Amino acid sequence: MVNLTIDGKQITVSRTATIYEAALEAGINIPVLCYAKKLLPFGACRICLVQVEQMKGRLIPSCTTPVSEGMVVTTMSDEILKVRKTVLEFLLVNHVIECPVCDKGGECDLQELTYAHEVVTNRFQGEKFNLETDEVNPLIERNMNRCVLCGRCVRVCDEVVGYGSYSFINRGFETKIATAFDRGLNCEFCGQCVSMCPVGAILPRPFKFKARPWQLKEVDTVCGYCGNGCTVSLGVLDKKIETIRFNDKIGVNDGNLCIRGRFGYSYVNSEERLTTPLVRKNGQLVEASWDEALQVVADGFKQAQASLGILSGARLTNEELFLLKNLAKVAGTANLDHSGGECYKGVTEGLAGSLGIAASTGTFPQVEECEAILAIRSDFYETHPVFGMVVNQAVKRNEAQLWLVADKRGKFAKLPGAQNLLHRPGMELDVLNGLARVLLDEGLAQTEGVEGLAELKQALAEFGADQVATRTGVDAETLRVAARQLAAAKKSAILLAYGLPYTAYSRELGIAAANLAILVGIPGRAGSGLYLCGEKANSQGAIDLGIVPQTGGLGAQAMLDAAANGKLNALYVVGEDLLISYPDRGKVEKALEKVPFLVVQDIFLSSTAAKAHVVLPAASFAEKDGTFTNAERRIQRVRPGIPLPGQAKTDGTIIAALIEKLSGNLAFTGPAAIFAEIGRSVPAYATVSFNGIGPQGFVWGGEILTPSRRRLQPVGGAVPVEGTFQLLTGSALYHSGTVSTRAKGPQAVVAEAYVEFGREDAKALQLKDGDLVKVTGNGVELRLKAKVDNRLPKGVLFAPYHFAAAGINRLYKGEAAVSVTVSK
Amino acid sequence: MSEAVETTVAEEEIDLAGANEILDHYVGMPGALMPVLQAIQEHYGYIPEPCVHLTAERLNVYCSQIYGVLTFYAQFHLEPRGKYIVRVCKGTACHVRGANRIGDTLQERLGIGHAETTADLKFTAEYVACIGACGMAPVIMVNDATYGSLTVQKMNEVIDKYVSMD
Repeated sequence: MVNLTIDGKQITVSRTATIYEAALEAGINIPVLCYAKKLLPFGACRICLVQVEQMKGRLIPSCTTPVSEGMVVTTMSDEILKVRKTVLEFLLVNHVIECPVCDKGGECDLQELTYAHEVVTNRFQGEKFNLETDEVNPLIERNMNRCVLCGRCVRVCDEVVGYGSYSFINRGFETKIATAFDRGLNCEFCGQCVSMCPVGAILPRPFKFKARPWQLKEVDTVCGYCGNGCTVSLGVLDKKIETIRFNDKIGVNDGNLCIRGRFGYSYVNSEERLTTPLVRKNGQLVEASWDEALQVVADGFKQAQASLGILSGARLTNEELFLLKNLAKVAGTANLDHSGGECYKGVTEGLAGSLGIAASTGTFPQVEECEAILAIRSDFYETHPVFGMVVNQAVKRNEAQLWLVADKRGKFAKLPGAQNLLHRPGMELDVLNGLARVLLDEGLAQTEGVEGLAELKQALAEFGADQVATRTGVDAETLRVAARQLAAAKKSAILLAYGLPYTAYSRELGIAAANLAILVGIPGRAGSGLYLCGEKANSQGAIDLGIVPQTGGLGAQAMLDAAANGKLNALYVVGEDLLISYPDRGKVEKALEKVPFLVVQDIFLSSTAAKAHVVLPAASFAEKDGTFTNAERRIQRVRPGIPLPGQAKTDGTIIAALIEKLSGNLAFTGPAAIFAEIGRSVPAYATVSFNGIGPQGFVWGGEILTPSRRRLQPVGGAVPVEGTFQLLTGSALYHSGTVSTRAKGPQAVVAEAYVEFGREDAKALQLKDGDLVKVTGNGVELRLKAKVDNRLPKGVLFAPYHFAAAGINRLYKGEAAVSVTVSK
Repeated sequence: MSEAVETTVAEEEIDLAGANEILDHYVGMPGALMPVLQAIQEHYGYIPEPCVHLTAERLNVYCSQIYGVLTFYAQFHLEPRGKYIVRVCKGTACHVRGANRIGDTLQERLGIGHAETTADLKFTAEYVACIGACGMAPVIMVNDATYGSLTVQKMNEVIDKYVSMD
């Protein structure tokens, strides 16, 4: 610690603090422009100049100067004020004054500083730039005439996002911020630069001329897309979400968002939202009253009884999921499941069997401090982008060694020093087993108090580094080095994402990851963690609440099989578009066709809803009150920002109404009461009350979840996929599930399905971007547009699963990879 | 998306073998960007865009960053340059001894002003500050050859000589 005096105040701060940070801690506010909490000190704007007794003769930039013992700092004097005013005058020489029509007006740092310093005239004159506004892309507008060259956008894109869109170009007066070759912005469109820009140089286009900042009502809630659980502050005007506001004060994401969170909100406002219940009459879905629709549903469920199947999505709140489970009980069925039923088994069967817990063991911020990180599947960045940014920072700022078990060269692979254990598609299991075997062979494994060691050793007989190398294509020596580094790191993390497009070997991967974690001593160790991250906003909640087959009940796939064979009398689908997002569309089609009574509850008339007998209009995340539990077990409050469209109701209200119809008992008692009820059957949720959930949420089980056991479970290898071309499916960064295909933001960037080729294959097949190709596999032929880049190794193809028309799931039946043929 | 753009650009007709060979020497070396760019310019006469993408990929540096470096230093050129670089000295000594007329002659004969290149990629003109040969002002350089004590007539002769060369 260091002692210093600021404005006569005695202060003791950490030796790593800057003068600016020390002052802030002492409640003394120094004005800044280029400083941002989450970025490294830069010192570009010179607004934060202060006087330091020991450094007389010049003013000192407080944001880049570290504190030192005995320092005496003055933050305001006539001289400082004069210089700050001059700095502002300089900035205003070039900065165009368009405040009345600038969307930043009212929350512009330059405007506020100019006002605060009463800079009413300017002693200097110079040319204004007349640079063309970059509005090539639909999401982010860049007006560089307003830029003050603080470099926050350049730095955030590098330091946090790891994309590197921007750089300072040219020199002297000509200096400006531009993309490579000074072209229109063409990036991931996460909009971190938008949130960092202190002036109106970088703005969200969808928000242009929609509202003045002070007119907006801000509602803090949790993003409805992925399991990252980012806080989003809805900017609401006239009952409509107009933008997502920057908020780095609360939540787990430090103000960072991805394209989905920042620009993917518009589906909520969509004209296509369902606003009234629909009941099928004479083959047509026609509008009906709630009374009628609910009665038809209740009657149908009564008739079906134990032969009713309930399938849920993982974007319902915990309270709604709880009601859904109760509904199953009341309706007398044990057939309950969510998210396709297979993808989450790494947690419910893998982790639960190995560690006695069905959740990630750590929290995201701890990953930033890890020395070694093993990310399984390069797609991690694409499924949970903001957690990906945490990994970026761990690697870039704290020099964590990143190891990837991946079938692609994704963005993670480009991080400094990242080592990619690039394997043949679907062979993750073998690589993980290989790593475990190295740990055991070289005596690096932590085996104290670990069960099942002998069985695991026996099961790993075939997984020597060289054998694994032959099967997977990963270099044996690299595998050994990876295992040694993981074992040596005091703080390490293993990350694995799961979701609908990643169903193959889900259980086995969970086990293999847990085995590895146990062997390197991760579970229960401070700062280390095993992270199994669900695809959807409340995937973890669905597991915590047990939205899985009840005793004797059928799982999702078994329900579909039963339905297809005419053995299921009714199916109730809540918040999921099975036809598009489940593997094996053929099977889903048959099931939906054969099931005598289909009820779909959704916010859009999805493909699945279009086949229903009754459609119930539900609510989006932005209209709900309740809680989500994110992939690190953080229970966070979801708050309604806008009213429901038309007659739509929240899922909770609808489910409760059905319970009431079936049982005659009152079910909907409000989210707080239901949350308390959850605690009665899920002990982890009893440790906090609904209103006790603070701005940072509440992590059930604590920052480090201690496993109740450490049991190694033997797990076999994968079956290699044959054939010249192997197709992978998965999540694309710009989308999440199927809902994002109704959102203008993500759609503006990636509007349709594609099949991605590596450069080598593209060259051999003479393909270029946009060419139509025929991809045939599993007896199904698809025509898709080609996309060529450098992510994929030879023979590997990738197609995202979000798009209905493409029908990827006609071909993908839940395999790790599908052997396909390709022709033009 | 940007990767897709990179591909189409990278497919322009540029033989990347030379750049790849240069990069082979430097991959993994810290601070390699400047020498790599200089060597690429030496090889191609300028920095072709596909080479920027290749360098970004192989050195794991952002394209934008490379572009920042390229536009910061006057020594780098992003457009093809002439076979003969005519540097017209506009330093003080040359200026008082008629450097402007020398520059004008070049402009009249070849139709190129400062930083411009003839359509046949034979000549590039550059007006430079002192090249350190004030004793022979006014002076020009054509690639590495220096021509001093120029008059309009002598300048025309120099141009004639290079025009007739390949």
